[in-house]
Amino acid sequence: MKLSKKFAIFSISTALVAGVAFVAPAQAASKDLAIGVTLDIDKLDPHTSTSFSTVRALGLVYGSLVEVGPKLDIRSGLAASWGFNADSTELRLKLRKNVKFHDGSAFDAEDVKASLNRILDVNTKAAARANIATITSITGSGLSVLIKLSVPNAPILAALDGVNMSMLSSDDIAANKIGKTVNGTGPFKYVSWEPGQSVKLEKNVTYWKAPVKLDTVTFRIIPTEASILAALNAGTIQFSVLTSPTVALQVGKNLNLYRTPGLGYVTLQLNARVAPLNKLDVRLAIQCAINRAEVVKTAAAGEAKVVGPITSPAYASDPDDRPCPNVDLAKTKKYLADAGYADGLTIKAIVSPTQYATASGTAQNLKAQLAKAGINLELDILDNATYVSRWLAGDFAAAVANNGGRIDPDTMYTRYFPSTGNLNKVAGYSSATMDALFLKGKATGRAAERKLIYKSISQELENNAVWIWLFAPYEYRAAAKNVTGFIPLATGSLIELRVVDLK
Amino acid sequence: MSFGERISRILLSTPVLRIGSILSTLFGISIFVFLVLRVIPGDSIVGAFGIETGLLTPEQIAQLKVYYGIDKSLPMQYISWMQSFLSGNMGYSYSTGISIASLTAKALPVTIELALIGTILGVVMGIAIGTFSARKPGSIRDFAGQLFGLMALAVPGFVLSTTIVTITANKFHYFPNGYEFVRLWEDPWMNLQQMMFPGLVLGIAVAAPVMRTTRSALLETVDKDFVRTAIGKGVNARKVQSRHVLRNSLIPIVTMTGIQFGYLLGGAVIVENIFSLPGMGRQVLYAITKREYATVQSSVMVFAILFITINVITDLIYRKIDPRIKK
Repeated sequence: MKLSKKFAIFSISTALVAGVAFVAPAQAASKDLAIGVTLDIDKLDPHTSTSFSTVRALGLVYGSLVEVGPKLDIRSGLAASWGFNADSTELRLKLRKNVKFHDGSAFDAEDVKASLNRILDVNTKAAARANIATITSITGSGLSVLIKLSVPNAPILAALDGVNMSMLSSDDIAANKIGKTVNGTGPFKYVSWEPGQSVKLEKNVTYWKAPVKLDTVTFRIIPTEASILAALNAGTIQFSVLTSPTVALQVGKNLNLYRTPGLGYVTLQLNARVAPLNKLDVRLAIQCAINRAEVVKTAAAGEAKVVGPITSPAYASDPDDRPCPNVDLAKTKKYLADAGYADGLTIKAIVSPTQYATASGTAQNLKAQLAKAGINLELDILDNATYVSRWLAGDFAAAVANNGGRIDPDTMYTRYFPSTGNLNKVAGYSSATMDALFLKGKATGRAAERKLIYKSISQELENNAVWIWLFAPYEYRAAAKNVTGFIPLATGSLIELRVVDLK
Repeated sequence: MSFGERISRILLSTPVLRIGSILSTLFGISIFVFLVLRVIPGDSIVGAFGIETGLLTPEQIAQLKVYYGIDKSLPMQYISWMQSFLSGNMGYSYSTGISIASLTAKALPVTIELALIGTILGVVMGIAIGTFSARKPGSIRDFAGQLFGLMALAVPGFVLSTTIVTITANKFHYFPNGYEFVRLWEDPWMNLQQMMFPGLVLGIAVAAPVMRTTRSALLETVDKDFVRTAIGKGVNARKVQSRHVLRNSLIPIVTMTGIQFGYLLGGAVIVENIFSLPGMGRQVLYAITKREYATVQSSVMVFAILFITINVITDLIYRKIDPRIKK
């Protein structure tokens, strides 16, 4: 009996040791970076994709005319330099020399014209079309391009960044190859996509910037973040994109954790077009009943920054510049009484727990805080597609939402709050003041003047408690210690893998 | 016997009734899954474009409805899908541009392998612990066996999976599922390592009901006359246990195993996610979030056909175990 016990212990130990010893495939000399991500890409067309996973992966393959740097400054990309005319209705671009697509063809003004026209074509269904809809013509040849605009629009420069604004080969567009073949100007070339498993890229040796050090990059789909962290700890992947603060807090000293405040924000959207939220006093009552720091502590394990409406760093709203920057239940009660709800009221809110890591925690905490003020926040828990469907239709009283941010406040909110914005139904609010301010902001090129305009927009949003802006979650990247040189970007882009080395 | 009587006899014969019941079950499932997908809000356009659907013009939405085949009436959509499915064309996944048949051909073997490993481990553990418990009912060993059964039922698969993943990765730096999935025929050793822990998690889930069924079946059989006769005739206790008691208790155990195997095929979604296995569970889950109707419908039909096949196999095993059933 004793012997058989010892044999069993020996067998199990041997099996485990053997497993550990044999699991790792032979290490090749090449520098191969495996990145763990929870979601697969959903398409190969950079202009039409809206999924974060696709945007991250294709962002390494394609290039855009300008880039957003680590300090959220606009830097040259495929355009080496640019200039506006005096009234910001013409943008002249000088393109970078010696840029080649992965198929070897040269990049020039023809590609810019074809790419921008493809984005503007309604049949393309391009995600970024609305951001450049003021373009009336694109002309040029060689390395010069002239873009004419229907109205003064200085913010359009920032809108030229990103995967949705990728420059594609004019030949590929003419041959209707986009989405079928992948031919960019980025630091890595597309190799293969195994749906549900991986996306493989390899070094572009003709990349226009400094030589790329990594030989290959593989996005490996590991559907849960806890398993991604396990794979990092086991050394089976070397880099990862994390969104859950609770998982990020478990990252040990054996790894490097990059924590960057993101541009996106979590908010309680209020639909001011439906009762009882059409009453300003009811919205202000909610505004005064919520302690944002407590939401951050509970829902995001303290891993987020309390923010106001505008998160674009150069124009960021002051989170204390709002009615009731701190909880004031006496004011809440007064607002409720003024609105005719002295005995409290019930508001239904939609939430999709699978949409992002802090959704459930945020919703539960808001419910608990509002209950103290006599407001019953009834949560309608939905799957993502159902949530999006109702959100788009404006079919909600309140919505716990995590919306994307931009480096320019115009592109961030122009589709929500001006009455003509295509998501104004979702915003649930518009006013003549807001419309005038957005028009003024678009037409103004001077930074100081623009700051004042967007400060006014921010105050207009907060004073009317249009939505309840809560916090900006962090962007997390975790990497093995031998991954060096990575620069995290608040935009979520992984473009700086072009300078990463694997020691 | 008249021609009419002959026809009605054939129609009422067991195989024909069985085939009829299988076909009507499949038809019912196809209608159910088709309708459920249409009842829930959101459609393929929202699934593909997300919040950017708000940027689409009415003309673009109309074009996309034609593209996704959701511009037709519901009966026409059903007939069109069923016609394609019956002719062997399961449709294609809009997001990947790959045929559903190709995706299923890759995902199904992963799920079947996982379910088989889970079932084998579960049956071995369940019968062993059930027998161990039933030998001395009411004893400490019985209590220990039943405690295992209760714990295996009570601990959710995701908790057990996450615990295993965390401990093996953090303490032993061992997480083979972090590598790209390899198929059994590509690299059997690596495949075994990638299947070992998820198989164990599913095996524990299967072991609990099998253990409880085994225990109660054994306790019921052990009091039967033929067992007492065998003992009275001086047959070796071990032989009585294996040849008489266990064999005669197999019917409920086989039934339970068949049901559990069927559940594993469709219910391994969480384990597939945590251990990053590209099986059918993940395929269906992804398709539901993207509202890829054809992928969900065709995959569910594949599950249903498999479930029914397993039931038929279970029936055949009954006949082998108990020759009286043949009569």
